[in-house]
Amino acid sequence: MNLSRTSVMVALSVFAAVISPAPSRAEDTIKIGAPLSLSGKFVSYGAAAKRGVEMAVDIYGGKVGNKKIEILFRDTQSDPQVAVNSFTQLLSEEKVNFLIGPIATPMAMAGLPAWRRTRALWVVPGATTPLLEEEAGKEPMLFHTFPYGYYYHLALARSLREKLGPGKTVAIIYSDDAYGREHLPYAQKYFTQEGFKIVAEELVRAGATDLNPVLAKIRRVKPDLLLGLVQTTDGIQLTKQVYVQRLNIPYLVGTAYPQLKQWQDASGEAQEGWVGVTTYIPGLKAKADPKYPKLFMDSDVWKAEFTKRYNREPEFIDVGAYVSTCMLLIAIENAGAVDDKEKVAEELKKLDVHTMIGRGHFEPSLGGTLNQAFADVVVHQRVKGADAILYPKEFETADKFEQATYAK
Amino acid sequence: MIAVRGWIIILGSLVVALVAPHFLPPGFSDWLTRLSTLILVAASWNMMANAGLISLGHSGFWGLGAYSAALLANAFHIPFWLSIVPAMLLGAFFGACLAYITGRLRGLFFAIATLATSEALRVVALMVPKLTGGAEGVFVFDQIRPDRITMTSFSLCLAVATVATSYFLSRSRYQYALRAMRDSESAVQMLGVNPARFRIGVTALSGAIASCAGVITAWFTGYIDPGSAFDLKITISAQIAPLFGGLYTVTGPVVGSIAILALSELTRLYFNYSGGVGLLVYGCILVFGVLMMPSGLVGLWKRRRKPVVTDAAVPARAK
Amino acid sequence: MASLIFQIVVDSLLLGGVYTLMAVGLSLAFGVTRIINFAHGDIVMYGAYAAFFAFVSLNIDPLLSLLFVAILGAIGGYLLFKLTLDRILDAPGINQVLLTFGLGLVLQNVAVILWTGDERSTTPSYAFDSWFLSDDIVVAKGRLIAFGLAVAFVVLLLAWLRWSELGRATRAVSQNRAAASLMGINVRAMYALSFGLSSSFGTATGAIMSFLLPITPFMGFPILVKAFAIIILGGLDSIVGTVIGAFLLATAETTIAYVVPQGIGWAEGVAFFLLVIVLIVRPTGILGTVGRDA
Repeated sequence: MNLSRTSVMVALSVFAAVISPAPSRAEDTIKIGAPLSLSGKFVSYGAAAKRGVEMAVDIYGGKVGNKKIEILFRDTQSDPQVAVNSFTQLLSEEKVNFLIGPIATPMAMAGLPAWRRTRALWVVPGATTPLLEEEAGKEPMLFHTFPYGYYYHLALARSLREKLGPGKTVAIIYSDDAYGREHLPYAQKYFTQEGFKIVAEELVRAGATDLNPVLAKIRRVKPDLLLGLVQTTDGIQLTKQVYVQRLNIPYLVGTAYPQLKQWQDASGEAQEGWVGVTTYIPGLKAKADPKYPKLFMDSDVWKAEFTKRYNREPEFIDVGAYVSTCMLLIAIENAGAVDDKEKVAEELKKLDVHTMIGRGHFEPSLGGTLNQAFADVVVHQRVKGADAILYPKEFETADKFEQATYAK
Repeated sequence: MIAVRGWIIILGSLVVALVAPHFLPPGFSDWLTRLSTLILVAASWNMMANAGLISLGHSGFWGLGAYSAALLANAFHIPFWLSIVPAMLLGAFFGACLAYITGRLRGLFFAIATLATSEALRVVALMVPKLTGGAEGVFVFDQIRPDRITMTSFSLCLAVATVATSYFLSRSRYQYALRAMRDSESAVQMLGVNPARFRIGVTALSGAIASCAGVITAWFTGYIDPGSAFDLKITISAQIAPLFGGLYTVTGPVVGSIAILALSELTRLYFNYSGGVGLLVYGCILVFGVLMMPSGLVGLWKRRRKPVVTDAAVPARAK
Repeated sequence: MASLIFQIVVDSLLLGGVYTLMAVGLSLAFGVTRIINFAHGDIVMYGAYAAFFAFVSLNIDPLLSLLFVAILGAIGGYLLFKLTLDRILDAPGINQVLLTFGLGLVLQNVAVILWTGDERSTTPSYAFDSWFLSDDIVVAKGRLIAFGLAVAFVVLLLAWLRWSELGRATRAVSQNRAAASLMGINVRAMYALSFGLSSSFGTATGAIMSFLLPITPFMGFPILVKAFAIIILGGLDSIVGTVIGAFLLATAETTIAYVVPQGIGWAEGVAFFLLVIVLIVRPTGILGTVGRDA
């Protein structure tokens, strides 16, 4: 037992010395905590959010008023225990008054109880499954920016009903992960509301190697539409197998994945005709904000700027994190560059800006979140390797949905 | 004499566990809670390894504990310290069943059977959303969650109790039976121990302790979902910790847990500006650790102090 | 009904081909070295990335690059063995588990850093082609190719093990390490060889997966777990057993997915259940001979 005591003591004390909180920094910085999944299974979300946040701070000039902005990134490693630890470190040791992130719902959920201890001003540019809304939507210090999943289904159902006419049948495929399970009830609700008849609801295992059994069942009911409520990896698999198996369903509808470059590259010719829904696609022509043109530029200009920095096309999380960070920074500046969450919250609520992902203005969401910034979504379709925009009216570039193509 | 010294250390540790969290920075206190859960699974895994039972199913026990605590707390509002009891009973029962059903399986086959059962449990958690909340997970009723200091003290005490259990196990007559089990079960019979019953006993104890770790996590994060509660990463850290610290020893799992959690935390804090680097460094250290010190940190320490390698440092199965 | 059965048979066969590819490399390495390589899935992942970059930047078809990828895999696997595992062969088996797991972690995160977590895929024309067998039964060309290659790999491997000098030496080591050593076979060299061969199967499998599955740094682990289940099911040291295990698992999963409502969600759980049953009834796997203390 001797060796145990010594080595345990040594290990613990060395570690304590290393991670104990650093001496408080000068008063002329404003710290913003950013717990994000920078490794593990949600790394692509965290990496995108980090790009958006960093670019926002950089374009803002690195300062609000005369105070330096310091972003404290903390990797949650896509692990709930580590997420809790990250939130505690940021809130109770670094004593940040402002938080931005995480993107993945399970990480936000795990951070929630830790956040409740101090209730810092929390900007959430992700967690679009309404789980967070149900648990914490009524919290006045929670500022959810990105549209919740149900806005997607509302827009999809509306635009499809408008352009395809009444009486169509729809088959739904949903994954057994949180994404599929959360989206299913909203898809059911809004598609039924718009007069669609749901003729099949099939579950698939996330990461399944073979979707054939499910596709064979759907083939038999011959629906007019197929709606795939799955995440990107499964979206690729679904797209390819639907095409190869020649399901011959006229309209193929996805959720977030058809906008993603990685889905497009991986799906090849099978992507033709897929309908997607998002807040931002690179082809969107949004005008610069009259008041903050340097932050919320013309969407083309912003896209070029992003591409120049990161050597890749921006996607919805990049831009979502960017605009959310900008809004937070503006609010801090408007509040007089103070490290005071109440004052900044007041300013944040007053903001009304026109961004690359639509109007940013905090108001109650459909599902009861007190502060929801964005509600505009875009319905688009992959036609000949490009995006045709079919909703909303002001951005429309096509007036009817094309039918999907299949293997010849 | 030794037993008395053991008791003093245990009582001392308990006092430290109760007092220290009041004076620690909150992040460190959270870190100690995480450490305790790791020590619990590591020590519990090591107990089975001691008897020659390699488990790849510890995430199953963990998830079982986490879910039973969360669901019971939500249904009956039972407080966190009480939720340990049903969770442990369930873990023990599950462990006993597992040992009973897999009665004929040894070595790698037993390991794969445990892996299979824990994966099957994960699938059940995903596919019965009415009971478990499915992939969306469940929240633990927030009003009855303990504060951070209570949480840390409680989990540290459990960790101390676990280490004490394995300490007394290693002092009891069972240690010979354990060591004999690693080599051959017929030898165990000569010690007057029924190997089948002994296997069930060890697995049940190990299962009960591992599900405790799940209970702590459920209360600590306040939210669980099948992906994280039955994460294979848990099983993997449960074996990495004893291996890194020193297999078949009492202190190995503790030293190993501290070392790997400190490593992962340091790499996380210092390399978190670029995705993947933290885990990469962690992986590299693991690889070099195994190559340079095959009998763990404890073995390394012992060899430094004594030129003769002790029995504990050289596992009996080494050929 | 007949059509349903026919469909199940077709789908099971095609999936079984994919599963065989996933497992055969792992099975070979384990049969000889008795080491479970936790990094095998990540080796498959590197094969997939190699084929992807050959396809995108050099416009080489994955089936063509497969050869080079396999050779690279063999060299990589051999070096990996010589540099790491070779040095702890005498340590307890569990240390080797830890080591290969650590290697997997390193390989995976190098991939994350180099190529991010984005999904990729090769898109050769045959990956988007299929034939109608009947009104509602379709055979995907990509999967048929995978099936054909799986058959070819297994036949080649069996022939090599049976008729070549090295292959026979490999089998000897697999059956009895001490006796083989007494016969003048360099056991360590055979270990390294079989590990290299196993990796080359792994990377070749990756090249084939590059047009069947989305490529990500995390694709390896699910593949590893499947392969794990398959080789245990079939018997650890038997290539034929592995093939049987792969088709058994594929058939079980596919049947459940077709017959049970929400079956595809339960399929995996049932597959593992099947595994436990087989292990209890026949602890060495279907064709295995490895002793109880493997």
